[in-house]
Formats: sequence, structure tokens, C-alpha cells
Amino acid sequence: MVLTFGQKLWAQTQTVTGTITDAENRMPLPGVTVLEKNSSNGTTTDFDGNYSINVEDGAILVFSYVGFSTVELSVGSQNTIDVEMNASSESLDEVIVTALGIGRERKSLGYAVTQLNSESVSEVKTTNAINSLQGKVAGVNITPASTGAGGTSRVIIRGASSLTGNNNPLYVVDGVTIDNSQLGEAGPYGGSDFGDGISSINPDDIASVSVLKGGAAAALYGSRASNGVIIITTKGGKNQQGLGVEYATQLTFDEVNTGVFDFQNQYGQGSLGLAPVSVNDALDNPFSSWGPRLGSIASSIQFDGVERPYVDTGDNLDKFYRTGTTLIHTLAVTKGGGDLNYRFSATDLNNEDVVPNSELNRKSFSLNVNSIAAEKLTVDISARYIVEKVNNRPRVSDAPGNANYSAALFPANVDIRTASPGIAEDGTEQLISSNTFTQNPYWAANRFNTFDRKNRILSSATLNYKFFDWLDLTARAGIDHSAIRTTIIEPYGTAYIPLGSITEREVNITQVDADVILGINKKINEKFAVDAFFGANKNTQRNDNLTLIGSRFVIPFLEILSNVENSSQSRTLNELAISSLYGSVELSYDDLLFLSVTGRNDWFSTLSGLDQSSENSEFYPSVSGSFVFSQLLEDQSSWISLGRLRAGYSEVAGGAQTPYQLTLPYQIFGQGHLGNPLGQVATSSVPNPNLTPFSKEEVEIGLDLSLFSNRLGIDLAYYKNSTKRDIVPVDISNTSGYSNTLLNLGQLDNKGIEMLVTGTPIRNENFRWNLSYNLSYNESEVVATDESGNNISIGDVRTFDANSSQVVGQPFGVIFGTAYLRNPAGDIVYDASGFPLVDPERKVLGEGVSPWTMGLNNTFSYKGFNLSFLIDAKFGGQVYSGTNRVAYGAGLHKETLNGRENGLTVTGVTNVTEENPNGEPFTYTHDDTTLQTYYGSNSGVGRIAEEFIGDSDFIKFRQLSLGYTVPASVLERTFISSIDLSIVGRNLFFIHKDADNIDPEGGFNAGNAQGLEYFGLPPVRSYGLSFNVKF
Amino acid sequence: MKRIFQIVFILIAFVACDEGFEELNENPNAATSLEPGPKLTATILRVSGDRYENWRANLIYSSTMIQHIATTAGYWAGDKYTYNAQYSGAWFERTYNDQVKGIEDLRSQLSAEGNSYPKEMLSIVRILRVHIYSKVSDIYGDVPYSEAGKGFTDGIFRPKYDPQSEIYADMLNELEEATVALGSGPSQFGSADIIFGGDQAKWKKWGNSLMLRLALRMIKVDPAAAQEWATKAIAGGVMTSNEDIAYVVHTEGPDGINRNGNGQAFSADNNPRLSETFVNFLQNDPRLTVYGSLPDVEANANIDRFAPENQRGLPNGLDGASLPTVTGEDDLSSFTEPNRNYMTSESAPMFFQTYAEVEFMLAESAVRWGLAGGDAQAHYNAGVTAAMKYLELYSPQATISDGAVSAYLAENPFNATNALEQINTQYWAATFLNDVESWANWRRTGFPQLTSVNYPGNVTNGTIPRRLRYFEREQTSNAANYQEVIGRQGQDVLTTRMWWDVQ
Repeated sequence: MVLTFGQKLWAQTQTVTGTITDAENRMPLPGVTVLEKNSSNGTTTDFDGNYSINVEDGAILVFSYVGFSTVELSVGSQNTIDVEMNASSESLDEVIVTALGIGRERKSLGYAVTQLNSESVSEVKTTNAINSLQGKVAGVNITPASTGAGGTSRVIIRGASSLTGNNNPLYVVDGVTIDNSQLGEAGPYGGSDFGDGISSINPDDIASVSVLKGGAAAALYGSRASNGVIIITTKGGKNQQGLGVEYATQLTFDEVNTGVFDFQNQYGQGSLGLAPVSVNDALDNPFSSWGPRLGSIASSIQFDGVERPYVDTGDNLDKFYRTGTTLIHTLAVTKGGGDLNYRFSATDLNNEDVVPNSELNRKSFSLNVNSIAAEKLTVDISARYIVEKVNNRPRVSDAPGNANYSAALFPANVDIRTASPGIAEDGTEQLISSNTFTQNPYWAANRFNTFDRKNRILSSATLNYKFFDWLDLTARAGIDHSAIRTTIIEPYGTAYIPLGSITEREVNITQVDADVILGINKKINEKFAVDAFFGANKNTQRNDNLTLIGSRFVIPFLEILSNVENSSQSRTLNELAISSLYGSVELSYDDLLFLSVTGRNDWFSTLSGLDQSSENSEFYPSVSGSFVFSQLLEDQSSWISLGRLRAGYSEVAGGAQTPYQLTLPYQIFGQGHLGNPLGQVATSSVPNPNLTPFSKEEVEIGLDLSLFSNRLGIDLAYYKNSTKRDIVPVDISNTSGYSNTLLNLGQLDNKGIEMLVTGTPIRNENFRWNLSYNLSYNESEVVATDESGNNISIGDVRTFDANSSQVVGQPFGVIFGTAYLRNPAGDIVYDASGFPLVDPERKVLGEGVSPWTMGLNNTFSYKGFNLSFLIDAKFGGQVYSGTNRVAYGAGLHKETLNGRENGLTVTGVTNVTEENPNGEPFTYTHDDTTLQTYYGSNSGVGRIAEEFIGDSDFIKFRQLSLGYTVPASVLERTFISSIDLSIVGRNLFFIHKDADNIDPEGGFNAGNAQGLEYFGLPPVRSYGLSFNVKF
Repeated sequence: MKRIFQIVFILIAFVACDEGFEELNENPNAATSLEPGPKLTATILRVSGDRYENWRANLIYSSTMIQHIATTAGYWAGDKYTYNAQYSGAWFERTYNDQVKGIEDLRSQLSAEGNSYPKEMLSIVRILRVHIYSKVSDIYGDVPYSEAGKGFTDGIFRPKYDPQSEIYADMLNELEEATVALGSGPSQFGSADIIFGGDQAKWKKWGNSLMLRLALRMIKVDPAAAQEWATKAIAGGVMTSNEDIAYVVHTEGPDGINRNGNGQAFSADNNPRLSETFVNFLQNDPRLTVYGSLPDVEANANIDRFAPENQRGLPNGLDGASLPTVTGEDDLSSFTEPNRNYMTSESAPMFFQTYAEVEFMLAESAVRWGLAGGDAQAHYNAGVTAAMKYLELYSPQATISDGAVSAYLAENPFNATNALEQINTQYWAATFLNDVESWANWRRTGFPQLTSVNYPGNVTNGTIPRRLRYFEREQTSNAANYQEVIGRQGQDVLTTRMWWDVQ
């Protein structure tokens, strides 16, 4: 084991450069890891196989690359070390960053870790860096919400751990945990997605991302690691010789993938086959495409009183949404080679979203300093300042304020631009509908404003002191502080809230994380070695929220907080702390057997009370091992280059993250009564002083194989985990004085497999083809909800015909909703008028989370050209589409074309009674007087959620990059050291998709309730150019 | 090696494990402890109640079942003996969520070991607590009592339902102990006690008056106990004038908690009319035009809306379709509604128990057992007088003159041969808008004699309901205890009779 908290430099340093080539064909090897042994100091080779690294005198360099045997060389006095690497048996000794920033050889690990380099994250940059991991890591399920460029993505590792709690992983940046609070999201009644903590990390600063998937990998993080850990290491200056300047830019155009929406354009606005005959009629049926066939009448009157031709006016989505742009500039200055190495970077990311007026700007400044402060003492400082401004985050889900809702539903004969700019002569909303809750999309886009500004400081400092070769001490502290100011305006003159409202919110989030670690690394004899460390951690979190709400503007159109009739305010401060002691001991025997034991004890402030007698601490152990059986093979040149088995067991915990649950809070009524103050118990939820963190146990086994001289690598993992004593909200009798409480009653199990296959089918002098395929399957089961096995609803969709529920015996978050009433033979039961009946019992209609996820990445290199593309896919889940449900009622869904001309005949049964459970055969033909009602939601199929459940399966052409590197020979006499140019694209098209009209990934929030869809942004594809130059 | 030990020591000192965690976990967003005063004031306002439960249980169900009010609106379920789960369960829901939570919190604070609050404060809380539970029990029968409201203090999440007989027994003991412990002079609650301004003597009188109410409630099921407790109550000292009435003064706002819940319901609901039964009784009664007046609508522009002769009651059990056929009217403008000048105000007082009610109970006790001096007529006269005079608490304009009272008594003298009916019909007339009490007293005595309606779709076979159904959420959130109680008390339907309401 190697401690990598600081660079262990205590002697003179020197710079070593060189070129790494493939011994077989003399081709340069890009992406080779070059690491100074026993340190975290490392770099990777560029496209031409070149590297440069500063190392201390007497250092040993370790060159590692997947599929090749690792080379170790003493530096001595040389300044140039060129290496030819051989494909060989020791292919999997890549160094991996593991828990607490500790670098370890992959082969020693008893659990699965996936590490991605900076290339993977920044090859095609996205506004939310975490989306770059999509499809790249087996076992990690990333789902971006359809909420715009500033939105949140759901990241789940090996299935969810908690039935109702937070299931996102712990994020660690440069050794310290960061805050990942969700700052606001849409619910069934609408809203905007205000992003989370990870979404503001700058992809250009990332050096590597390590995903600790299992409990054994994460156990050292204790109570916060139940959902896995993602460790981000940022770029530093250590690999630079002298001064280096790098400039990178990427410009992409973002446009709505209008092909996804496939609504009918044969029938126009109207009702019961008739076009509107008056303005009022048009306003009463704004989104009703139940008129006559387009072209069958000459013209019709529209919402604004204008008579227009009754013809298809073309794609309204195309007209409403604009072509967005994302422009990213990064300038980085690095200096290395002495006692002081640093990298400073500044990034400006500017996004204009496809929804008009919606824009995001993020400026990131980053400074990483590494210095040898004194003999045996190194100091690393990482500081990051992020300023994020987002204007007009799009509203999604319910109709009010949601432009996406209206834009999708305009009839084909009404040109959406006639509703522009959405403002009537008196400055109020121009109505397109007599239902005031149906917004003019231009009013929504132009006048519904949100402004938010986030100032974030994310920094850490690490000191390392080396007492002896085998003993060192590291101290590290970090702070993540965000100050967020948000303004949300419902404008004056909005039809449903004529006098408007304003919310002003200030949130300050601070997380401080500090560690002290003592490291021991001792070889006992030739074969046995011990690697151990013991540490302590203190983590404090503070969230301070001040909200002011004003409603009813007094002076029209003056939308400021002082201009309101009614105002209210609230302040919430949440503080908590966790203290921990931890340790890890790893024993190794001759590169053949590795055994690692860890333990951590956490103390929680949230479980500490003055009168508290129960435990406020928890202990988490893990044990894991690795057996490199290929070491025992007689014939080293056999087709197995490397083979090993690994296994691990762990216990971690989670939850207990809510402070102040041990005492009753009292509410004070400021106004009093007749001069007397008023106070009462402020909660309807019983604070449960006996709450404990839930516990999650996991076992995993794995197999690593490297075959055929490393041309083929296979990594398999099987895991099984169980979350016990999960904290669930339980309905209790009101006669207790309260209506619910939190109890440790839930249980959730997951088991699954992960597979990673890497291969190099072609490798010759000029051409190289690498491919990597990952596949994972996770099967979850809700084992217990509460003492009587009641369903727990974890989220609704606006139609309320379906929700996301935890149902005992079912997978996590099933879609639970209304279904057709059927007789025992399965026939649909109709009433006498030909309308289907609804089963009085709601049913499990689908799985909200796809169990199968996979990704296929291909990279082709030919001379200076590089083509890579990523295809990813998910299978096995379902989605309830509220959009399609509304499109049925609106007569826009293509399905509603059935029966318009000659009637729709439905067959099933009717008159089902207790005596005659199968009912009588029934046939009914709906003509145009009842067809609209049949497809509608009050008495027709619209209220039956089952009708709108589709498979959420998809195969997406996720990412494309075609790059060219200007040959070094061309630049030889210039001051430029390299130029890279590429064409990039993301989310270009669907190769396959089942659900009609929607992006099956596109939920309206990134919370636990997945598989529910209702009018988010349509899918957006991006393409553009990326340019990188180094001086 | 010494150095290593030093380092290990530093490591442990660094976390100091959980030092300071208790302080960190003290809630900065809310008070975590409160003096009893503000809690009592808030709890009293909760007992008076919000629009939600007063609208649903007191008005929509009770006032129409007891035929003070009638309406054609279909959702007024009590007018037509239909079942509406939300309306039926509302009082249960709010009693426990608001009133019980507040009173049990106070009780636990004031009875905590070593607390330094004077005993009289606990006595006051105990009396108010009995008022809360007696009201909810009189509506539903067996209810959670001994284990109720202890979700936080005792971790009881699913309280059992206690038999009403046991609840009554305990409530009577509570009243006895609490009243005995009360002295005279101001209590330490002071003005936070918005019922009696801290006057211990008045609490004592109310405690005994409640005891008398509970005693008489047992008259059908246990006459001996009824007499025993009535004797005790009278000996302990009940209310002696309108100065002793237990009521809460409300204000126009600013929030719901400050307003009269009935008043808020009337502000939102123009449907209620005085029942024909009630208006017929109030003929030649000076209360008629205090209680009611014609609505202020265009159709009545040229009519004296406050003249007794213009008042007309609406028959119960009608809807929009049957209104014209039964009454000859197309709309409700010619029917008397609760007087919007006095009775329906959001700042109207809310009465928990009046002196008039006490006098009628004393009259009944005199008739039955010769108690209270044995002079039923004197108590009847005092009751009628008090019932008319107390209306001035609604508004000075609602004052009924002494002359009008005497004239009424002269026309309606005490009639010893029909005493119980006369007394309890007056009790009914005096409890307008305290309809939960009015309904309970009707179930106890059968007076006034009411003619039930038989509206299509009613769930009582055309009989006046004997109870309301429990809050529906209990079926799932307290399933075992719910099953247990319906096994004991009988089906959870509107016609099931509770313990004291034997045939």
C-alpha cells in the first residue's frame, strides 16, 4: 500500500522525460500511467507516448498500462527514460486510488473499483461533469433528469440502499468529502431543478475519477459510504517540466431532438370533429386536436380571434425551442520541476439552453499547489472557487409556468409563434386558454423568472511528514462552502395568479472535513509485508436557509420583495457532526495473496442528546482478499496472462443525517391572542430518539482475467447486499397526537453482476482498435417496509394515476397505478357505453429503474486521427408517460387517429357480476361523438395508467469524438507543443427506443421516484468542436 | 516509539469522539421547551377549534341532525343522514392532532417529577383535558384515552381504544381530584388562561359543572352512578351565574387559530338555514331574531329581514329538486339563516359550557332526585333567563330585555307534568351552535322530540344518527385496535349506540 496524501519528497528533485512504446510494433503508447513509486506523484503519456515527470533523486518509476506488464525502473541520474512495454502476464497491476486517497495496485484489491482518467471525463465536456460517466462504469446507473442544462443527474451504484432516503454516492474531491445537497427540484405540481453539489465541478480540472462500488471499498468512509463513493482527483502541476500553458475550448450546439415527438398532424384544433367557431370556443379547446381533418375546411378562428387556414403549420417544437450553445474556455498554467509545483486554471462555461431565456454561466478557478516545505514535509493545497449564475431554470412537470407543457400540445394548425411574445397589450399574460393554469409558453419562457447565484469555495490542505521510511503522518483538512441566492418570480399578470409572487432564498452550506492518519508500511521478510494505517476524522455539516416569500404585488409589474401585500419568512439551520476513528491493515504474501481488514467507528451528533441513554456510535468492519492464482501457473506463457479471484465482506451504515430528532420543537404564533403568546408542538411527526443508522451488509466476489497477451481482459463481479433497519416513515395513529414517525423497519436487498470486457482486436504500426464493453445487472427487492408491509409511496406524477412505490416483494420503486378491470380470462371489462372500467385495486405496472445497463466504447486510432464513440443502453425497466396520457386526451397521440373516420370498435366483456365473473362478450363502436371521451381521462382510457406504461429500454448513440493531433514534427520549430482538434457530439440519436414521444430516461427530477414522466424538456442533442493547444 | 504513542494520543484527542455533540444537536429553529402559559392559550384555542372540524362535525353533521340547521346542499351530510368519511372523521382527527397533543404535553410538563409549578395549574389542565375527551367520546363512543397523545412521551404509536364506561369513570375521578385541589384567587396561568383569566374558583365551578354533565349523561346506563356524581358535583359547587360561563373570546384574525371556527365556516358557506323545527319552536321567543334573520339578498331588499313574522325555517332533508315541491320556493332566499350580525361572526365567542345548561341540569336533578334544593321550577326559570341573557356576549345588540324574558316565562311557565321534556327542549334551544353538546343531550334524553327524515341514500334507515364514524385513517394506521373496538362496541356505523346511549 502507498499513502498518497502528499507527495513524499524530501530530497532534491529532477525531471525525467521519455517516450513509451509498444515493444511489439514500436507504436507509441498513449495513456500509460507513470508513477513515482510510494507516492501519488504520477502522470500519463500523451498521444505520442511522451511523458515528463518530476521525481526525487533515487526514485523508482512505475510504468503501467492495461494489457501490458508493469515496468519499474530506478531513475538514477538519467533525465531521459524511454520504455518499451511488453504485453504480458502482469496486466492488472494498474495503480488505483482507493478510499481515503490511498493508491493501491489493482491486483491487491478484494473488491471492484473502476478508475477513469481525465480523458474520459473531458473528451466531450458536458455542463454536468457526472454525465460524462454515463455508460462507462459497470454497476453505475446515471440518469439525467429532463430539466435543462443546469439540472441534476441521479447516480446510483449497485442499486439503491435506502427505501426513502438519499441514495446518491458520497463524493470526495482531493481527499475531502464535498456537499451534494439537492437545491430544489420539481414535484408533481411542477417546479425547477436547481442542481446539486456535484453538477458544478469543472470537468477540465479532473485528473481521475475512481468509483468505489462495493461496501468493502467504501467501508473506510463509514456511515456516509452506504451508497458507494466517487473519488475525484484534480490536476496538479507535478507532471510539468518548467512552465506550461494550456488552452482548451469547446463549442457545441444544442438542439431539440424533434424527431422524438411523433404526434399526429392530420387533424386540427377542435372538439367532436368540429373546428372552433368562436374565440371562446378556441380558448376552451386550446390543446384539443379533435377537429376535422386538416384541409377539410378552409380556415378556423384561433385563440387570438384571427381566422387562419386550417392546415398543418409545421413542427411547433422546432419553432419554439432555439438552438442552444455551450461554449467552454479553459486556460491553465502549470509549473513544475522544483520544490513548488502548481497548476492554476480558469474556466468559463457559458450555456444558452434550448428553452428561450434560459442560460447558465459557470466560472471556475482552480489552484493546486504542491510543495516541499521542509525536509520530510510536503504540503499540498487545492483551492477551487466556482461562481455559477443561472437565469430562468426551465419549469417542468405540471403546466403552470411550464413552457414545455404548452409547446408540446399546440394543435398542428395553430402556429405556436402566434402566441409570441405571450404578453397582452396591458402587459399581462396573453391567454391561449380559458383554463388559467394552462400557460402561454412564451409568457412562461419570457416572464417566469428564476435567478440564482452560487459562490462556492472548495479547498483542502494536506501535510505529510515522513518520520521513517516505514512511518508517516498525514494531516488534512478541507472545506466546501456554497452561498446560494435564489429568486423565483411568478410574474404579475399571470392568469392563474394575477398579482404574482416572489420567493427570495439564501442558502449557506458548509462542510468541513478533517483527517489525521498515521501510516505504516513495512516488509517483514522477503515474502510478507504489512501495510497499515490508523486515522481519525471529523466531519461537520451546516445548512442555513433563509427564505422570504411575498405574494400579491402592489404596484403592477414591479416584481420586488418590498412591493408585496403579504409576506412570510422562515429560517432553518441544520448542523451535524460525525467523529470517527478508523484503521486498515493489509497483509500480503509474495504477490500471491492479499488480505485486508478495515474498521471504522463513527460517533453521531444527530444521535446525541442531553438525556440520551442509547448509543450514539456505530462500528463498521470489512474484510477482503485477493488471490492471484496465475502466479501458481507453471507455464507463464500460457494464454492466461493474469488471473485472480477476489472476495470481500463489509458492513456500512447510513442515514441518521437529520439533526434535532431527539426533542420536540415548539412553534410560536407571533401574533398571540388577546395579548398572550401562543406556542404549541410544531410537528406532526414524532421525533424518534431511538433511531439508529441503517446497516448495509455486502458480500462480493470477482474474477480478473487477462488473456492472449493482454489482448483481452475480463473482469467479473457478483455482489449481494442487504440494507437492514432502513429508516422509513411510518404512518401512525393520529390518536398518538402525531401522524407519522421514522422507524428502523425497512429492508432492501440488491444482488447483481458486473462485467467489463476490454480488448484490442487490432494493433499494428498505424492502426489500433480498442474496445471496452461493460454490462451490469442489478436485481433489487423490497423485503420490508413497515411492520405490516404497507406500500410506501415515494413520489407522484401530476395525473396521480400512478406513483412510485416501495412494495414488499417487488424491486425498488415500482410504478404502481390504475389498471384496466379485467375478468379472470384477462378481457377488459367495459360499461354499457363502451368505456373501460378501472380496477379498484391499483397494480404494480412496471419497474421504475432499469436493471440492465451497458456501455460499449470503441476507439480507433490511425496516425494522428482518433475516432471514439460510446453507445450505451438500459433494459428491463418501464416508464409511465404522463405526456402520452395528456396527448391522448388532446388528440395528438397517433394512437388517437384510430377510429376518427370509421369509428373505433372495442371488444371485451360487460356485466361482470359475482355470479358471472367472466361477464358477457361485448363489442362497442365509438363514433366521433364519443371517441374523444373514450381517449380522454375522465371516463376513458386516459385515467388508466396501464395504458401509458411502456418499456423504458433504449440504446443511445451517446458520445462521438473524431480528433486530429497535429504531428509533433509540424510544431517542432514553434513555441507550441501540441494541438488537438476534434469534432464532438453527445446524445446524437437513439438507436433503439420503445416509448412513444418521450426520452425514456427523462424524469422530471432525479429523486427516488423514477419511471414517472411528465413534460420535461424534450431530449437535446449536442454537436460541435473541441480545440486544445499547449505551449 | 515514544513519538508514536504521542501521535496516537493526538489522533484520539483530535476527534474527542462526541465532545459537544449534545449542544450541537439542540434545535436552533424552534423552541425546545416552553412555559406552560403559551401552551395553555394555544391549546384552549385548539379546543375551541378551527374551521375544519367545526364546519364538518359541529355544523354539517351535528347542527342538522339536531335540526337547528337545515340545508339543501348535498354535502351537508347530517341533514340527510348520509356518510361522508372526511366530515365524519374530522372531529376525531383534529381532537387528537391538535387538542390532545397540546393537553398531554402540558399535563406531562406539569406532572413531571420535581417540577415547581403550583398544583392548581395541573388541576386546570386536567379539567380542560376532561372536556376534550368527553366531547370526542360523546361523538364516537369508545376512543383512545389512557394511551392517547403519548407518541413522544411514551412512544405509543398505536393507542388502544378504551371502553367509554372506563373513560367516564376516569374522567369523573379526574374532575373530582382536580376540583378538590383548586383553591381560590388567581392561578399562576394568569391571563394565559383565556377562559377564566386565571380565576381558580371559576375553574372549580366549571369542573363541577362538567361533572354534572357527565353524571347526567349516564342516566340511561347507570342511574345510580348518575345520581351519585350529580350529588357530588352540586355539593362541590357548580356555575351560579352567566359570569361563570366557560367560553373563549375570539378575534377577527389575523390567523385561523385566532378566529371562531364556526364563524369561519359561516363566512365560507351560505347554505345553512335555520331548521323549520327550530324556527317553529322559537315562535314568540325573543331569541328567534337573535339566532336568525333573512339573508341579505336582492329578493329580500324590501322585506324587514329581522322581523319575527318574516322568519321561516327550512325543512330538513330537502335538496334542490325537492325544495319547490315541498316548500313552493325555488331558492333559499325566503328562509331564515343564522343571524349574520351576531351568530356567524369570526370574532364570536365560543361556548364550552354555559350557566343556562347547568341550571337546566339542576332542574332535571331536582325533578329526578330532589337535588339542588329540589325546586325544579326555580332552576328552570333561572335557566331560561340565563339562556336569553347570555346572548349579549355575542353582541350588545343581541341583548334581550328583562321584560322580554319575563314575558316569555309567563307564556311558557314550568310544567311539572312534562318537566323533563320541557327542560331538555330548553337545553336544546340554549345550545344552538354548540351542536355537539345539543346532539349528545338529545341522545341522552330523547328531547326535543324530533321527526327524522328519510332522504334517498341515507345510511341510517331514516333514523337520526347515534354517533359518527371514526376517522377512516384509523383503519390502516391503528388497524388492530380499530378491529378490537368495533368487535366490542359494534359496527363502525352511524347507528351504533355507545355505552351511555342504551335503548
